[in-house]
Amino acid sequence: MAVFESTASGTLVSLEEGEADVLRTLLGEMKQLITQEAAVDHAVIDRLFPAAYADPKDAQAFTEMVGDELRAGKLHAIAQVRDALADEGPATAQVSDPDPWLTVLTDLRLALGTRLEVTEENMDGDLDPEDPKSNAMAVLHWLGWLQGSLLETLHTKGEG
Amino acid sequence: METTVAPGRIEEVIGGEETQPDRPWLVIVWNDPINLMSYVTWVFQKLFGYSLQKATRLMLQVHHEGKSVVSSGSREKAELDCFRLHAHGLWATIAKSD
Repeated sequence: MAVFESTASGTLVSLEEGEADVLRTLLGEMKQLITQEAAVDHAVIDRLFPAAYADPKDAQAFTEMVGDELRAGKLHAIAQVRDALADEGPATAQVSDPDPWLTVLTDLRLALGTRLEVTEENMDGDLDPEDPKSNAMAVLHWLGWLQGSLLETLHTKGEG
Repeated sequence: METTVAPGRIEEVIGGEETQPDRPWLVIVWNDPINLMSYVTWVFQKLFGYSLQKATRLMLQVHHEGKSVVSSGSREKAELDCFRLHAHGLWATIAKSD
């Protein structure tokens, strides 16, 4: 099972092969989504880049001002996490900076959760194996568990 | 920047507002069902330097009441804070204080 843990030399992440494969695939998809090489899912884009103002003109001006920088920041985080993973097989890496990991795990969960149209209720409910969405829900929960495990190491170090 | 008509009043021209600290711009974070409560608390601490207690209180307000004002100030500051919240995946908007 994947885990982030505090060691004498800093935070360490260990992913089994299947877990690293899932993460590598999701990172590739997220990169395509942000660079809009893949078909655009407007609901996901709207959640990753929310309207900052109720007034559409102000919201548009804000997007024009910061949109490129937001996209660049998210792509940079993806690249940093991707670099920490081997190209195949299991992965073990030092996490010198937790920020890109937290950003990537958040963005992946937002994209997945938005596509699944999750609500407070079904996030807390048990998974129904008959539900075609149950596999994706399981991935969403796994990413959350992973993020929670990283946040715990930050609290242990007194940074949280 | 054009002026726009809002319910009950005419919005003043943007940019002349920074000199009115009594009516600051507010940065509002909205509840979403996806982000972890522990993550939202961490973001408030990291971005705004809030204590764990204050960050937790704001996070719980977002969770229970649907939204919370997490920072305020000049329009420039509000836009920077909103940008940083978006960079961290939180659903944040900017509004003028009533």
